[in-house]
Amino acid sequence: MLPYTDKKPVGAADFYFAINATFRFIRRKLGPDGLVKYWTDLGASYFEPVTARWRDAGLPAVAGYWRDFFSAEPGGNVTVSESEEEVILDVGTCPAVAHLRAGRREIDPWFCRHCYFVSDAMARPAGMAVRISGGNGSCTQRFYRADPDVPAQDLDAITSCA
Amino acid sequence: MIGCYDFCGHYDWTFAWLERQGGETLLRDFWKEAIGEDSQRHAAELIRDERFEGMRKYWGHTLAEEGAGYTVTSTPDAVRIDMHECPSKGFLLRNDLAFSRDYCDHCIGWIGPLMQKAGFVIDHEHNHCGQCWWEVRAAADSTPPSAPGEIASEKDVRLGAAWESPSHDLFCRANSVEQKESAVVKEQIP
Repeated sequence: MLPYTDKKPVGAADFYFAINATFRFIRRKLGPDGLVKYWTDLGASYFEPVTARWRDAGLPAVAGYWRDFFSAEPGGNVTVSESEEEVILDVGTCPAVAHLRAGRREIDPWFCRHCYFVSDAMARPAGMAVRISGGNGSCTQRFYRADPDVPAQDLDAITSCA
Repeated sequence: MIGCYDFCGHYDWTFAWLERQGGETLLRDFWKEAIGEDSQRHAAELIRDERFEGMRKYWGHTLAEEGAGYTVTSTPDAVRIDMHECPSKGFLLRNDLAFSRDYCDHCIGWIGPLMQKAGFVIDHEHNHCGQCWWEVRAAADSTPPSAPGEIASEKDVRLGAAWESPSHDLFCRANSVEQKESAVVKEQIP
């Protein structure tokens, strides 16, 4: 379930241009650390209503959120699967990267890292963690209950869009 | 992932975040540079190359995709937009979101400098409730903004019951947020 709803069934894809441009602007003005701070603040603050549902309802709420999320994004191909241990997003076609490529936009090289930093900031207060592999148009994202034995995210495992 | 479905929500949140990091200057730079010169560069190119026809093409595509309730009216010397149901501000109002000081300023924040580069000036007024109007003319054209109904007839947003609100912002022959001439705060009717 999404915390905010619109009258349109799906969003306007050209907004991906603004999201990508925002990352580029913040990196240029505030540096790489500023960009990571933006993503973590966004995940912890703007997405707090999502975190609250994940905290209350656990992994089924995580799966439900991402199913509803990707059904409202135009042009993607994403499968959400869940078990008692984890929720897996198999992103065959990332709607954002696909639209940016179709629009011949230069994609911020760290574009795909935003998924990790935003989702991590959403998941941590709910007692969960996320790990991502791949990127640049297709990736796998795993959400699970936080486990100190799982290695930290390897940022080099998230493919650059450069 | 940050999505486009609730874009207006995190866009508004981002305005407030940027202002906390670098004040009004950083926020205005964001509208001008990130949105006007990068994200919406297709609009800049259309308007630079095709002038009024480029404006009609750009807003015809964008506002339809966003699901706006609007009309575009053209004269030989101006393009006028009457926004009856802003999809962007409407999203915030329906979801009870208000992160930044004045969300509506972002439009002239990126459109104003873009129009200046292309040689146009803007008359504009918004009521913070999802209604606004725009008139774009060549910078050399000193024609004042039209009277209500003069260009858009019954489609002029100023003639509708929804137009009245406690706070209107007005811009005359403007190209930037700094040119906000008056914040007209009307008395609340008890």
